[in-house]
Amino acid sequence: MLATAVNEIVSTKLNPNVVPHLHIWEWHIPLYLFLGGIAGGLLVITSIMIVLKRKFGIGPRDQGDGCPCLAVRIGSILSPTLLGIGMLFLFLDLAHPLYVWAFYTTIQPTSPMSAGSWILLAFFPLAILQAMLVNKRQLRSFNIEPVNKVIDWTENHMTIVALVNAHIGVGIGIYTGILLSFFSARPLWSSSILGMLFLVSGISAAAALMLLLAPKDEKPVYSMIDANAIWIEIMTVGLFVLGGLTGSANTHGAMMHLVTGDVNLAGMSYMFWFWGIFVGAGLVVPLLLEFLEAAGVHIKFPNVAPVMVLLGGLVLRFLIVFAGQTYHTFM
Amino acid sequence: MSNKKNYGMVIDTRVCVGCSACVYACKQENHVPEGYCRDWVVQETGGEYPKLTMENRSERCQHCENAPCVTYCPTRASHYAEDGTVQINRSLCTGCKACMAACPYDARYVHPEGYVDKCSLCKHRIEQGLETACVSICPTGSLHLVDFNNMDQKTKTLLSGKVVYRQKEHAGTEPGLQWISASNKHGA
Repeated sequence: MLATAVNEIVSTKLNPNVVPHLHIWEWHIPLYLFLGGIAGGLLVITSIMIVLKRKFGIGPRDQGDGCPCLAVRIGSILSPTLLGIGMLFLFLDLAHPLYVWAFYTTIQPTSPMSAGSWILLAFFPLAILQAMLVNKRQLRSFNIEPVNKVIDWTENHMTIVALVNAHIGVGIGIYTGILLSFFSARPLWSSSILGMLFLVSGISAAAALMLLLAPKDEKPVYSMIDANAIWIEIMTVGLFVLGGLTGSANTHGAMMHLVTGDVNLAGMSYMFWFWGIFVGAGLVVPLLLEFLEAAGVHIKFPNVAPVMVLLGGLVLRFLIVFAGQTYHTFM
Repeated sequence: MSNKKNYGMVIDTRVCVGCSACVYACKQENHVPEGYCRDWVVQETGGEYPKLTMENRSERCQHCENAPCVTYCPTRASHYAEDGTVQINRSLCTGCKACMAACPYDARYVHPEGYVDKCSLCKHRIEQGLETACVSICPTGSLHLVDFNNMDQKTKTLLSGKVVYRQKEHAGTEPGLQWISASNKHGA
């Protein structure tokens, strides 16, 4: 028998945050990334719907008095609401939440977290303004003086607000991925296409949510947006996996750890979660269902596809955040 | 002679016996809580029996010149000190843990009191003209506190002609710790 060369390292390092592998982010961060992605996606979709309707007359019928269709109105409210909930999870993840003000004492251009904390803050005023403008008829009925004034000043500029918001939405969506991809010490995360993947996934999840909430006559448009987003997402996931597999030993190993990994997450291996739940149940099956529906086939439970898309988006965030930590540090 | 200090360490693994005195000296000096450590001892065994080699070494924060923890810290809590070390300002640390994800050496931990902690190269002792706790206790003289901007003759002799390495240099971090490899021949 041939002797085998060994290289064994025994360490006395104790720290539970890094031994046996990085263990710093649990469920808060994936949930925040998911909600942030949907919030960004909702802002993108609702803003584009507003612009399309106002500039080109495309889209579901307005509800009169300058208020867009119901799904756009609900989506505009949900966007800042979901981001607010997501930020609560982000806050709860801090080891010293009372020092959260320290984020806003400086701008650190090289730190994605610093940039992100400012983008998050910039998001709210215009997103809330849009939510107010698309629901102005209802808001005016409450007759609150300052609210009425804000609406009076801005209601003629809704298209501009929406145009700016579409960009902020894209920024938030990309940021949720970039947050991870800047960490070159973590080989799975260290891929800039993660920003694109989380953006498309956020748009797709947002379209799925609007599809669930929209009244029947508004549904087809969101089904179409969702199907297109899923299609782009499948391509992006493919590129993300390929980029990993064809990379250096670090990146290759990290990608294999995700796509063929036997590490257990809630009773199932990464491999099963990735291919079975995320790609299969979260992308391919709902795309097929939405395609069949658009082709005129009667689907008995039309809500199944959007729910699967939402679950797939959630699973993607959990998988990436967890698998990025359980794989060894950059060597 | 440069007025600007650039502290780091030279660690002679040829004489390290892996006793962990450095670890416990540090824990007491810096009040490191139970179950955590700022420095640790690694034993690396390689080769093929009967030609096996072994290296013991004491590891800690590398006080990088291009430190990813400082780059990614959103609040300036992690920062470069005047003396070339990397320090953490506890009153700015939110515990977001970005620095921990960024560190290729996994040198940090979350202190139970809610801030991220790591080796400070005993800055408080250096300021008093003392050596670090780990250096002061090392029974075999493996650990050396060095100002790389003003290297003394003793350190130059120690490094001269030896195989000296730095860890994960390809990460672009410019680490401030140098190891004299145990692979150096006797009398080198």
